[in-house]
Amino acid sequence: MTAAPPLADPVAGQDLRPGVASMPRVRPGWRVFIFYSSSLLLTGVISWLFADLLWRTGWSPSSTILLGLFMVLVLLIAVGCMHGVFGFVLRLTGDRRLTHLKDYRDQDIQGASTALVFPIYNEQVPRVCEGLRATYLSLQQTGQLDRFDFYILSDSSDPDKWVEEERRWFALIGDLDALGRIYYRRRVVNEEKKSGNIRDFLRSWGKRYRYFIVFDADSVMRGETLVDLVKLMEAHPHVGLIQTMPALINAASLFGRMQQFANRLYAPIFITGLNFWAQGFGNYWGHNAIIRTEPFMSYCDLPHLPGAKPFGGHILSHDFVEAALLLKGNWEVWMAYDLEGSYEEAPQSTIENAQRDRRWCQGNMQHGMVVWARGLRGGSRLHLALGILGYLASPLWLLFLLTFIWMLYYEAHTGLSRITVRALTPFLKVSATQHAFLIFAICMVMLFLPKVLALVDLARDRTRRRAFGGMIHATCGAVGETAFSTLHAPLQMLWHSQFVAASLLLFGVRWGPQQRTAGGLAWSTAVRRHWGHSAIGLIGGAAIWGLDHPAFWWFAPVLAGMVLSIPLSVLTSRAGLGEQARRLGLFVTPEETGPPPELAGLRARMAALEESGPAAPCPADSGLADAVVDPYVNAIHVSLLREIGQNPAYAKALADLGVGQPEVRVLCEKLLAEGPDGLQPAEKVLILSDAEVLAWLHRQAWLRPSGTLARWWQEQIRQYAP
Amino acid sequence: MSASAQTDGPGNLAGRPLEEWNAAYSKVESYFHALRVRNKVLLGQLVALVLERAMQRSAGEPQRSATELAVEEMDRLVNAWFAQVLQAPPAGAEMLSTRGRLALLLADMPGQWQDQFLRPGPWPAEFAQKMRAMYLRAGPDFQLTNMTPRPLDLGPIATLTHLSHLPYLKMVTSWVLFVLLLVVLFYLTHH
Repeated sequence: MTAAPPLADPVAGQDLRPGVASMPRVRPGWRVFIFYSSSLLLTGVISWLFADLLWRTGWSPSSTILLGLFMVLVLLIAVGCMHGVFGFVLRLTGDRRLTHLKDYRDQDIQGASTALVFPIYNEQVPRVCEGLRATYLSLQQTGQLDRFDFYILSDSSDPDKWVEEERRWFALIGDLDALGRIYYRRRVVNEEKKSGNIRDFLRSWGKRYRYFIVFDADSVMRGETLVDLVKLMEAHPHVGLIQTMPALINAASLFGRMQQFANRLYAPIFITGLNFWAQGFGNYWGHNAIIRTEPFMSYCDLPHLPGAKPFGGHILSHDFVEAALLLKGNWEVWMAYDLEGSYEEAPQSTIENAQRDRRWCQGNMQHGMVVWARGLRGGSRLHLALGILGYLASPLWLLFLLTFIWMLYYEAHTGLSRITVRALTPFLKVSATQHAFLIFAICMVMLFLPKVLALVDLARDRTRRRAFGGMIHATCGAVGETAFSTLHAPLQMLWHSQFVAASLLLFGVRWGPQQRTAGGLAWSTAVRRHWGHSAIGLIGGAAIWGLDHPAFWWFAPVLAGMVLSIPLSVLTSRAGLGEQARRLGLFVTPEETGPPPELAGLRARMAALEESGPAAPCPADSGLADAVVDPYVNAIHVSLLREIGQNPAYAKALADLGVGQPEVRVLCEKLLAEGPDGLQPAEKVLILSDAEVLAWLHRQAWLRPSGTLARWWQEQIRQYAP
Repeated sequence: MSASAQTDGPGNLAGRPLEEWNAAYSKVESYFHALRVRNKVLLGQLVALVLERAMQRSAGEPQRSATELAVEEMDRLVNAWFAQVLQAPPAGAEMLSTRGRLALLLADMPGQWQDQFLRPGPWPAEFAQKMRAMYLRAGPDFQLTNMTPRPLDLGPIATLTHLSHLPYLKMVTSWVLFVLLLVVLFYLTHH
């Protein structure tokens, strides 16, 4: 072990990056202006029409509120639409991509050491290991494996997961002959979650590596892509981070497959559009990205935000902020959207999707504080603001609908009749209803135009077209996905509104365990999650019908999504329906029609695991049993504990936990006499954290007479009988 | 085993009922099986070796069960063998046991060297070298570094006081003017 001083603090204003002055730089100023001006122009025109409609039907204070909400919502839709339009045009005209600024293919990466880090927290361990194996094998084929090290960085709090991770890690390094290439480390205390996990890695080993590539638990990356990322970084020393665009893979449920299809079909034009204005001021999405270690360590240790929650304290969604801090430190952040071979998985049901949104929402709301931080680049503020508005749009949409219903109610109960006057735009020569429909139609075009453009973009590329199962299948898929997302959007609105309110008002949203059948979500779980949504749909629908029959039909798509939420959730979570859609050629993605070797291998091994059973969840306390009784698992566990104890920070954390105290022996005696049921989870973790006690326990479990041991131990030992 | 057996009557072995030795056999066999000694002949030989030693102690320690004696002998035998193979300096039994088991795993005893387990030396050079040289590395040497968060000035008021330094100020101003223009035009044309 070697101790190193803290990283030198770069002198303010002095550019310490090698060769930066000679590098081509991209500045997004005029691009941001053109892009957002286009969005604003579009918003202005439609808002004008909407204001005119409100005017001709009688202006009131409610109209002012409605117009204000409309403008914000339409601006967001316009920004989305412009991403699609700009992206489409750029792809049509041949975009000069950031990654093509300099030919990097022949870049030498000798001497560039890179760590691939897999931060995990109570994950499905076989999937993590198989994803790592797929990446490892793919990297091996490039012949550049020697320049990379792999780290499984565990934050798992579940003792069974902890031991399973160690067991499977050891099996993996055995299979791949990767001892000294794939490492495993579990933190003693998982403070500050994933960002703390990464920082802990950097504090322990960061100085060994010029770059590190962050993976998610379900990430897979192609070896060539990893090598390309390192080459890109070597060729562009002013770039601090390059984010790849992960393709969604391995979905089985109908919901998952629709999300996967949408991601693969629409993302290229959206990301191209995003890159048009972001350029070197890109963003970081937390994984599947390469990071230059030294500037990250210098600039990106996140401060705690002042004040109380929801805005104060530890920064939850760290990725956006880390990108912003790198940019603030004059490093560029790129989005390498033209690099293929970067993958991740997605939630398999609407409820799992909402659970993930719940976490992201809380983090993005906190950015409301960061967005004002002095010194941030304008591009960073835009990324942060769009992230916030992505969730804030839902309560605004809800408010818009409620204001509209209020206006209907007001009109119905005051007895005032609606007298339409001439519109400002007499050349349109439309009635008030036609006027409203025109606005509605324009909004729909804005919403769906990017999807149409994505299809046109697909039609232009024969190879891609085939990869999506042909134009007819892709079009049918897009129509089906659009129909589903229309019904799903109102649910997202209600959920996100709840999450935003929960974040701001500091109350939690309870989820509890999900019951899943072999094929998908259980009906009981869906009823428990969605009864409120259905009730809102039914009651809201009845109220609107009572107030104004024609208005009801305007609300019908929104109400339908709410009323049908239970069957929608259950049916779209079904793997069987996903498979049926696949057989019909619907929602097919390039990774399904022509799986790249890394994914084909991963699927084959996961299928084999499913068949042989080890991928199934382990019984309760199996980890504790293995760590004590199995001679090899015990030896591995004890050895790893002794190793991390060499790090003073871990040694202190272990001591703080109570390791080495006489009380641990007392707990062990209780464990031997009563079995694990007599201990609290934290006590089990404490025992599993004490190397000396674990080594002692192993011998005691085997040496003590059976009569002095709990029946549970006798059963565990019996399992080793031939 | 045969020496002790000679002194026993029917149903007894080394002064104890056969069932008791059967239980001891099962426990020792389970441990060796847990060490992945899968070859039945080797497994039987190793268990017999341990039980032989336990039977020799049996008469002197009648208060202890055959299983207790057997697993204790197994532990001694295995640790003594680890000490010889690893050429380990004197250490606690737990420390030696852990290191030895790990060495067995890393040297792939279950896969390649089952016949060498608990066998007196000399051992094949490759096996001995693997047992002694290999150690588990869960991570490279620590190179400890500090990371210190830089303060983040979050004050919007402070930002507002430095409006002139705001990036894109002109751009934002032009957008605000555009919106104001729309409002004014709307107002003028509707009154």
